[in-house]
Amino acid sequence: MNKQNNKNKIMEKYSIFIVLLIMIIICSMLNKNFLSTGNISNIMKQLAVATILAYGEMLLIISGMLDLSSGAVLAMAGVFSVSVYKSTGSLLVAFLVAILFGVICNLVNALMVTNFKTPPFIATLAMQMVARGIALLFTKGQNISQLGDYVVFGQGTIGPIPISIIFMAVITIIIWYILRHTRFGRSLYAIGGNEEAAIASGINVAKNKYVVFAINGILVGVAGVLFMSRVNAGLPNGAVGYEMEGLTAAIVGGTSFSGGVGTTLGTLAGAFIIGCLNNIMNLIGVDSYIQQIVKGVIIALAVIWDIHSKNKKTAKVILVEEKSEGK
Amino acid sequence: MEQEIKLRVSGIEKSFPGVKALSNIEFSVRKGTVHALCGENGAGKSTLMKIINGIYKPDKGQIFVDEKPVKIQSPIQARSYGIAMIAQELNYVPEMSVEENLFLGRLPVKKMGNVDWKLLRKKTEEFLKKEGLPYGASQKMKTLTVSDIQMLEIIKAISNDAQIIVMDEPTSAITQREVDTLFEKIAMLKEQGVSIIYISHKMDEVFQIADDITVLRDGAVVETHPASELDVDKVISLMVGRKMDNIYPKEPAQIGETLLEVKDLYSDGVFKDISFNVKKGEIIGFAGLVGAGRTEVMRAIFGLDSYTSGSIRKSGQEITIHKVADSIRNSIIMLSEDRRRYGIIPVRSVTENASIASLEKFIYGGYAHEKEERETVSQYFQKMNVKTPTMETAIQSLSGGNQQKVLLAKWMLRDPEILILDEPTRGIDVGAKYEIYKLMTEIAKDGKAVIMVSSELPELIGMCDRIYVMNQGKISGELKRSEFSQEAIMRFATGTR
Amino acid sequence: MKKRVLCGLLGTVMAASLLSMSAFAEGDSYRVAYIARAQSDSFAAWLANEMMTATEAYDDMTLDVFDGQADDEKENAAIENAITNQYDAIIVQPNNGEAQRPYVENIVSAGIIAITTNARIDGIEGASSVDADPYAQAAVNAQLALEQVPENAKVVVLNGPSGNFHADKRREAWQAEFFDKRPDVEIVGEQIANWNKDEAVQYMEDWVTSNDTIDAIISMNDNMAAGALEVVSGKEEFADILSYGVDGTAEACLLIEEGKMTATCLQSAIDLAELNMESVHKLLTGEETQIDTDIDAVLITKDNASEYVEMYKERGLLD
Repeated sequence: MNKQNNKNKIMEKYSIFIVLLIMIIICSMLNKNFLSTGNISNIMKQLAVATILAYGEMLLIISGMLDLSSGAVLAMAGVFSVSVYKSTGSLLVAFLVAILFGVICNLVNALMVTNFKTPPFIATLAMQMVARGIALLFTKGQNISQLGDYVVFGQGTIGPIPISIIFMAVITIIIWYILRHTRFGRSLYAIGGNEEAAIASGINVAKNKYVVFAINGILVGVAGVLFMSRVNAGLPNGAVGYEMEGLTAAIVGGTSFSGGVGTTLGTLAGAFIIGCLNNIMNLIGVDSYIQQIVKGVIIALAVIWDIHSKNKKTAKVILVEEKSEGK
Repeated sequence: MEQEIKLRVSGIEKSFPGVKALSNIEFSVRKGTVHALCGENGAGKSTLMKIINGIYKPDKGQIFVDEKPVKIQSPIQARSYGIAMIAQELNYVPEMSVEENLFLGRLPVKKMGNVDWKLLRKKTEEFLKKEGLPYGASQKMKTLTVSDIQMLEIIKAISNDAQIIVMDEPTSAITQREVDTLFEKIAMLKEQGVSIIYISHKMDEVFQIADDITVLRDGAVVETHPASELDVDKVISLMVGRKMDNIYPKEPAQIGETLLEVKDLYSDGVFKDISFNVKKGEIIGFAGLVGAGRTEVMRAIFGLDSYTSGSIRKSGQEITIHKVADSIRNSIIMLSEDRRRYGIIPVRSVTENASIASLEKFIYGGYAHEKEERETVSQYFQKMNVKTPTMETAIQSLSGGNQQKVLLAKWMLRDPEILILDEPTRGIDVGAKYEIYKLMTEIAKDGKAVIMVSSELPELIGMCDRIYVMNQGKISGELKRSEFSQEAIMRFATGTR
Repeated sequence: MKKRVLCGLLGTVMAASLLSMSAFAEGDSYRVAYIARAQSDSFAAWLANEMMTATEAYDDMTLDVFDGQADDEKENAAIENAITNQYDAIIVQPNNGEAQRPYVENIVSAGIIAITTNARIDGIEGASSVDADPYAQAAVNAQLALEQVPENAKVVVLNGPSGNFHADKRREAWQAEFFDKRPDVEIVGEQIANWNKDEAVQYMEDWVTSNDTIDAIISMNDNMAAGALEVVSGKEEFADILSYGVDGTAEACLLIEEGKMTATCLQSAIDLAELNMESVHKLLTGEETQIDTDIDAVLITKDNASEYVEMYKERGLLD
């Protein structure tokens, strides 16, 4: 009985990591290069931007919101950053500019959501259009090229490790820390789990919503820098639909759309599942159209498995409780 | 005059998980009369009416209309038997027009299945004109007053050829003048041979219009009499006449100085002239009928709602409360009546639910001391006798009583001085109730002040040192322990002298 | 009663005279509407800008630009509006030729001059067209590749969005002019990167992992070619990689000048815009009644790249 319980507990907690593990095993059988250092580094480089956006989405979904503007804000912050770099030559200033614009857009999102009570879906959808429009207007729809040393963010390495991977790793640790070890993190779970209960527990919900949007803004800004430097261009049209990649990674990673549930490592695993899937299909040369179908099916299966293994566990808990109360 | 029986229920029983709501109900309504149904909150009035209206299925028993046995399985079926219900909380779609609401679910259609708007408009206008109602068929429902809407509900019932109309607390939200209009309407309906089942807490109204009165208590019919054979006192004593059980572990407490004093608290349109105090070691009760404004007063003191004017003093010092954080800082906490809405965070663990209001105790020095958190919380759980499989179990999979104890633990972790407990035992079983009473006694013995809002008179009488009674947004009376009686409380609560 | 009639009459006269005056004011210059595919597509946006610039050369023409927002519905609505507004000529850059075809036919039957451009719509009676021939653009590259790509080479192919006229035609040209003639060449990777640089980067990273050698990048536009080159830049083993694009973007010209990219074909928005304005002017003045013309498919290689880099610098698109 006890052993059974433990097994279930492990399944519940780690089901998404098991999915990832199975995927990695299958992938490595499909292509000998899959587990090569070069390829793993590739996967992580390809994942960095989406993962960073996914963390922002995760924080927002946990607290009962979401961001549909992140792809567009990424592009806007990115082209501003690129052009600031081209005129000042300062990597630091360019980096800060991206973050600044990411944060400004998200503070507007927060204002809409908390003060004007706009549903986050609509508020951030509006921001998506505005930010994309500003990016296009600013560049007259043209790509900015010749970025020079700016590419160091997305293409440079420290020792053998690509800088974008270092960014992703550091951000992962910071987000994990915020969610696990700060009062703010705990408050997010409460707000998303039951906003009225959070208010009745003395949590300043409005302030926390501003902060979580601001953090999302920082993440989007960083993602903007990595994206533009990775492609060595300021693309006002870039990153269309990236918010969906972020959302998908977060949801596949076990973040619940109804709020109050989600973990940093789960989201990381979700991003890796999608990243490995993309990578292996390119490695073995799967046709574009079939790729889309396979991706949709695998994502659905991963989520079904995850939810299923959690539900089994919940059912057990209630049974156990009824028994113990019966005594 | 002996009239024929229009509606009769016989041997109706109904149980909900853990509760027997109705047992062996015998009840009949004569044609063309008003039959009042009286009873405390939770006596089973609403359940009985929902069975008659086909919302609940009875476990046992039979319903007869015109002495013919019928099976009513849905409100639509009830309607086909001429039964209509005007609910306490009116059901309507605020964004839709009067005509659409009036014919909701039975809009006239043309051959092709599309709505016949012309006919709808014509029918609606006929009704409005006949009833002399001063609004248009196309007006949006939300622009109407509550009494307008209520009138419309009645018209809706009549338009459907209802022969039996159930009115659940129809006057709880309307003015005296509108009450008069309603009563005129009821008199007219009676003449047309319509039977009315009238549920109300307001004794004066009941005696004004009822032909017969049935009193329910604990899910059973106590007595049925013609109204002429009863008076207010008799009905009240029938309503509350239950034996006091010895389930209240009240111990005489050391009552100290005044801890909280509220003076002339006023909130526009919600409550006024609220003045009361609570002393160290004291448990005070707030009695009143549903809608009397008790919860609203407490929410204002706790900072969940704002108040217009008045003062709140703690140990003689004036305090201002704008938000929950203010009251928590002043060591005032509140356990909400609506546990699911304002209490639990369903998907999170019991530990997190308990620690959420005192995070600074566990998250300090740069990281979360999770072990310390678990240990402290589990100590409180032991004290409160919380039963949970693990400390990580999501609170939603616990029983109501255990959830309530977790929430109490959450606030006890803050070691508050003043505790507001709004319906602390609602919806939990007898055993858990007893444990909560015991905890309340211990808390009071610790020199803390407890304010208990409750609709269950026996528990107020059993647990409190003093009871304030509210009626229609005002404190209508204050009773010392020596003056406690259900009759006395009900008199203040119903506004009858 | 009489007064009212008088007032009415007066009003009518005033309105009529105002209308005729404004008609007269418009009368001395031709009103041309340009319905752009999407202002958010970088080539389309550039073309729209160049259209505005090219109009300045004509005193008797004014140009209004409308945005089809990469959406057939919106593009068609924009065409309808332009017809209603009685423009003298309407230039349509289709989002999807077949979807716009009936609307362009409506322009013609409304007696308004119609031009389809940058992906012409073939076979509309009475409508003119100005385009860059996508087949020729890819073909000049393919003919060059025929000589340059080594025997038994391994190549990767980056495609534009499927169903896109230019994407399909360019791929067709590569098939007919290169792959069919060189059965020895092996395609080791082919994906749709939707004209996007970032998508091309990702595909190329994976191809580089799964293939020891890649001899050539065959891309249906410059953006994707540049993205693929980004991946191999600085990698010894790919130093000799060949790469072909189309469009002649500023970035591609620069890469060719630096010797990183092999060749592209200029699809010059400037030329296209000038040819459009020239044609529409001829049609408006009645000099000609039907024009179907293409801008030249100019091959850009290391030999002539600096010329175009210079041009972009003049336009402020490079620094």
